[in-house]
Amino acid sequence: MPQNCIQVRNLIKTYADLTAVNRISFDVRSGEILGILGPNGSGKTTTLKSILGLIEFDEGSIEVNGLPIKKQRSEILKNVGAVLEGARNIYWHLTPMENLTYFAGIRGIPKKNISERAKYLLESLELSDVANKEIRQFSSGMKQKCALACAFIHNPSILLLDEPTLGLDVEITRTIMDWLVNVVEKEGKTILITSHNMDFVETICERILIIRKGEIISHETVKSLKEKFARKHFILDLKTEPHQAFLEAISSLGTVSAHGSSLRIELETVNYLIPLMKAVGETQTDMLDFRSVENDLEDIFLEVIKEKTE
Amino acid sequence: MKTLSLFSAEGRMMYWSLRRYMFNTVAMVAVLFLIFMGMFWGVKTIGGSGVTGESLDSMLVGYILWVSAMLALGNTGGEILTESQRGTLEQLYLSPLGAHRIFFFRALVNILFNFIIMTIMLYLSMAATGRWLSVNLLYLYGMVFLSTLSLVGISFMMGGLGLIHKKISSINGILSFGLIGLMLLPTYPLTPYAFLPFIAGAAAVRNSIVQGASFPIWWYLFIAGNSIFYVALGLAVFKRMETKAKRLNKMNQY
Repeated sequence: MPQNCIQVRNLIKTYADLTAVNRISFDVRSGEILGILGPNGSGKTTTLKSILGLIEFDEGSIEVNGLPIKKQRSEILKNVGAVLEGARNIYWHLTPMENLTYFAGIRGIPKKNISERAKYLLESLELSDVANKEIRQFSSGMKQKCALACAFIHNPSILLLDEPTLGLDVEITRTIMDWLVNVVEKEGKTILITSHNMDFVETICERILIIRKGEIISHETVKSLKEKFARKHFILDLKTEPHQAFLEAISSLGTVSAHGSSLRIELETVNYLIPLMKAVGETQTDMLDFRSVENDLEDIFLEVIKEKTE
Repeated sequence: MKTLSLFSAEGRMMYWSLRRYMFNTVAMVAVLFLIFMGMFWGVKTIGGSGVTGESLDSMLVGYILWVSAMLALGNTGGEILTESQRGTLEQLYLSPLGAHRIFFFRALVNILFNFIIMTIMLYLSMAATGRWLSVNLLYLYGMVFLSTLSLVGISFMMGGLGLIHKKISSINGILSFGLIGLMLLPTYPLTPYAFLPFIAGAAAVRNSIVQGASFPIWWYLFIAGNSIFYVALGLAVFKRMETKAKRLNKMNQY
């Protein structure tokens, strides 16, 4: 059974009359990547910053590696790294190497002790060629990779990432994703991550928390969440745009959304498959393809949020 | 060892930044020099024969001290504002050594850098005015270091305010110009004004360079005690404001 390296219990944080986080409790197990999902203003960043001791919470307790954040923050920070403001977290007028040297220095690590680590990080994040160029010339993705390297320079066992792929293209997102999975698998790191990128979270996280209005509304593995919210979605590709008679015939079978000649149908029950096919025949609709699709995490996320709102 | 690493990290940061922004540094020295020359010729022209050589020397030393004081005073507040605008402030707060230590060592590195500015300004001004003073640089550096430490304390208080209120440049301006007047107040032997930050040290430097005055050891100890008091007070206020900023989640908002 893996140990809990972050333990959050009944966390409450209020700002004037706004409750940002309301009695949140969860654990992060050693060696896992836990994702926190939630709409804007749901309390994700407040939770992350409370764990780092950057926000003074009102009630509850947070322990990192068994140490209370309010009393032993300095000790905790020796083993924690974080990227909170994305690429803004580093000095753009310096080079990646200078940033790494500086961030190690302010953690009390001498320059001579980090050369191997810096070399490894720059190489693994494909930054070796630009190690001595000013960061301000870099693309957003490269800046983000530099921020990750800086957060990892002291070889922490825990990494907290706030929206690490915000505004990045697919390729860079994939690189970062692979890199994070690699450090978890090979180095046994623990990662707590917030993101709006559902594909990213679905791919790298084993468990996810969904937070809404400061409360946890779901806390499960991605697998069980997908099973729980499994819906029968079907894609129907037609030769032409669907005619009115066909749409009317299938409207009572479930939720239908049309995108040109492609229809996405969520049947209330799989038993409605027969009436659906019958409607295709009766309205003489020319069908090119018919396939079932699984709910992706984005659908599930929206569904969970919707369900808890109702 | 850790403290040494932190100090050298701040030293390196200063060096890298200076290298990247060399033009800005040269421009700053040039502007400070031009302001001094304007003041010098203004006083000489308006004062005419009533202005003695000693008062011009006093003005030269006073200006150099004021520049050092101004740079030290704006340090921590300015640094917090810059870090906050950049988005790097929270990263500094993730250091296990504590952000207050980072800013303290940054302030020390800044004082040492200011010695270079001070020396350039001093010799440029002496060359331009033709008034060559006998300056013991070691004494000057030592005394300026000792007395500007008290302003580092004030700067920490400003930095604390900066964490909460962000823009505090107007207060900085008032303090910087207020110092010009305060530096003229008598401090020795132990007037109430001597308990204010920086002033006793500045007066000691000015009097010893311009008039060749010497002071008993207890006076230097008093100046050191004054600095230690203001540094401790500044750090205490800073830590208190830091807690408040964390409670209000204002650490990285700008």
